Amino acid sequence: MKSRKIGLHQFMAVPAFALYAVFFIYPLLKGIGLCFTDWDGIKAAHFVGLRNFIDFFHDQRALSDIRTTVLFTLGSAPLLNIVGLVYALLMNSEFRGKSIARMCIYMPAIISPLIMGYIWYFLLQPGRGFLYHFFDGLGHPEWFGNWMGNYKSALLVIVLVNVWQYAGMTMVIYLAGLQGISRDLYEAAKIDGARWVDGFLHVTLPLLGPSIRINVITNIIGSLSVFDIVMSLTGGGPGYQTETLSIYIMRMCYGSKTGYSVAVAIILFLIVLIPVAASSWLMRKKEED
Amino acid sequence: MKRRKAAALFMALAVAAGTLAGCGGAGNQPAAESKVSEPVEETAGAEETDDTQKESETGQAASGEKVNIKLFTGKIETIDVMNEIIESFNKSQDRITVEQEYQKDASNIIKIKFASDEVPDIMTTYEQGFVDEGKYMDISDQNEWWDRMSPDMKAACTDVKTGKTYRVCTNMTMAGFFYNKEIFNELGIEEFPGEWNEFVAMLEKIRTEKPDVVPWFIFGSEAWHLGHLIEFIPHGYVKSNLGTIEAKKAMLENDQEALKFADSDGPMAVFAGNMKELQDKGLINEDILTATNDNCVQDFVSGRTAMFSNGMWAISSVLEASPEMEDKIGFAPYPAYMQGSSPVVLSAEDSGYSISATTEHKEACIEFMNFLFLPENQQKYCEVAKAPSAFKDVTAKWAPEAVVSEVSAALDGAVNIGFTNEKPAGFSGDDAGRMLQGLFAGQYTPEQFAEAYTDAWNDGIGSAGDEEQ
Repeated sequence: MKSRKIGLHQFMAVPAFALYAVFFIYPLLKGIGLCFTDWDGIKAAHFVGLRNFIDFFHDQRALSDIRTTVLFTLGSAPLLNIVGLVYALLMNSEFRGKSIARMCIYMPAIISPLIMGYIWYFLLQPGRGFLYHFFDGLGHPEWFGNWMGNYKSALLVIVLVNVWQYAGMTMVIYLAGLQGISRDLYEAAKIDGARWVDGFLHVTLPLLGPSIRINVITNIIGSLSVFDIVMSLTGGGPGYQTETLSIYIMRMCYGSKTGYSVAVAIILFLIVLIPVAASSWLMRKKEED
Repeated sequence: MKRRKAAALFMALAVAAGTLAGCGGAGNQPAAESKVSEPVEETAGAEETDDTQKESETGQAASGEKVNIKLFTGKIETIDVMNEIIESFNKSQDRITVEQEYQKDASNIIKIKFASDEVPDIMTTYEQGFVDEGKYMDISDQNEWWDRMSPDMKAACTDVKTGKTYRVCTNMTMAGFFYNKEIFNELGIEEFPGEWNEFVAMLEKIRTEKPDVVPWFIFGSEAWHLGHLIEFIPHGYVKSNLGTIEAKKAMLENDQEALKFADSDGPMAVFAGNMKELQDKGLINEDILTATNDNCVQDFVSGRTAMFSNGMWAISSVLEASPEMEDKIGFAPYPAYMQGSSPVVLSAEDSGYSISATTEHKEACIEFMNFLFLPENQQKYCEVAKAPSAFKDVTAKWAPEAVVSEVSAALDGAVNIGFTNEKPAGFSGDDAGRMLQGLFAGQYTPEQFAEAYTDAWNDGIGSAGDEEQ
């Protein structure tokens, strides 16, 4: 029997695998063990079976957080893709000042979401923020409401700020996809009498498939695990109304419910996995068809 | 080719070993440190550990080895003065080096440190759960400290469950209403009301006669501030009604018969009803859910608000924003809001220092704390912390004279309540504050608030595993 030799390339993978094992696989396995315990971060952990998972589905605050997280994702993920695609289509055309426009769109993405949240907080603060003074200057302070003081408008504000910040990142991926589409295809379609809309629907969109898949999946993951922008804009408030699952996990972890918080983290992992796997499968199937 | 393979293998193993070594700290910890989860009844075992520590330190001293002490703090306001004191201490001898570590989120970071066996020798964070787990060293026998301390502060430092002391609090802090004396004088309000009805009437008078002035400013975007309102007003009532020790016991034992948190005429529901009434009548700021501490200070110094609730730590930011406020700051207790109760003012321990039960350097820690507690160092400390000393032999100018006399009068005229350290570990002051945010956002009626508060309290106690203990 011929013995299999380990080559140089396999050796080169060892550091990466070691880091992955230490920072991902080990915490994951440890987490799976902890999620069945009542560990509070201080005392010794005791095995409690599935109690943490049962408690989660009986906790009204947790269920409300799922609703908020899902609503945020339903607003944020499609908007990020639509706005990112529109930006990419614009940036793929020729006009003066394109580089500056591209930089302006992308710039918010490189600023920390926490800082971005605080900036928007001071812009939107009722009675004190920049926008209030702007409308006041126009003689219509009543046009400006307490948008962060109630659930619906606060959630909308968070979605819009998130889209404003990350649309540039989505744009870059779409732009790379658009620049990979040959001009010949559009010219051939034009010769066949296709309008711009036909070209977009039958040439651009199908060939953007891989970019759409990357953007949809990353935006779903990012939106379902949103933390920092919510923390800095509303702190999950008023009360717990705009609290997302990631914030809930953090608060439970530091609120002497460490084992429970790990169980919720695993539930969040599954919540993220389902739409990501479904969308990935659907899009791959469509591409194959 | 062989050389390249060998080099690649060496580099790969070096990186892997380096990475794994970083995770293997626990195994390298001294035996004493690996005992962090020993329960409290083994405090007797701590004496054994003490002997080991002494032996270890003697050994170190004999070999001339330097001892490094880690001091962990969450007190941003004392970082510089502590660095100054630490530098003097480090220069005063050559055996012990103290190093300060500040973390903004210290109360949470310390949990990670305990969990990962990276426990600092001295820390400012203190939690009942850690006391119960025997994480702090028993310092009840440090009579040279306790003899210098006021009896009230010594009592406040003592653990109700065991009767032992695990921390030294160097300062006192007070909390109540800070009000603008100039506005009060203009309106002819000579005395701060002691009863809730009179208090509401006073706020209405301010609203009517000075429509541009917010009678009471609450910066509700910061959950800790709302949590403090609960701590000082309804919890304050419980403590004044039951007595400090009995209230602490009732909280530790979750004696709802005594606490009456869920009762529709209990302290929580009445408090929530009162707060809703103030909101409905426009006697507190409209932007309560988005207002910040900075907004409060700015509005107070510019005369746009007549009063706010806070602790002594607020004085420095007010005077920094406007030094002219020095003679205009009034201070008053929280008015009595329950039938037959009295006004209350917080007079609590502050700046607590505890020694880890597993430190290898007990004697060195005590030597440093002796230095830290020297009257001349405490004087500097109090003046920076803007808080009076808990030591009887320390005199410090911690606030302008006018403020000090206002505070003394408030302390004399109200029931002095302590801070609740006996709250459930799973229900923090911030959590309570977020519930009050919900009340102001219309999420609860006063009765629903009281029930939700009680549920969260019970759940917090259950989550800490106290039910099984």
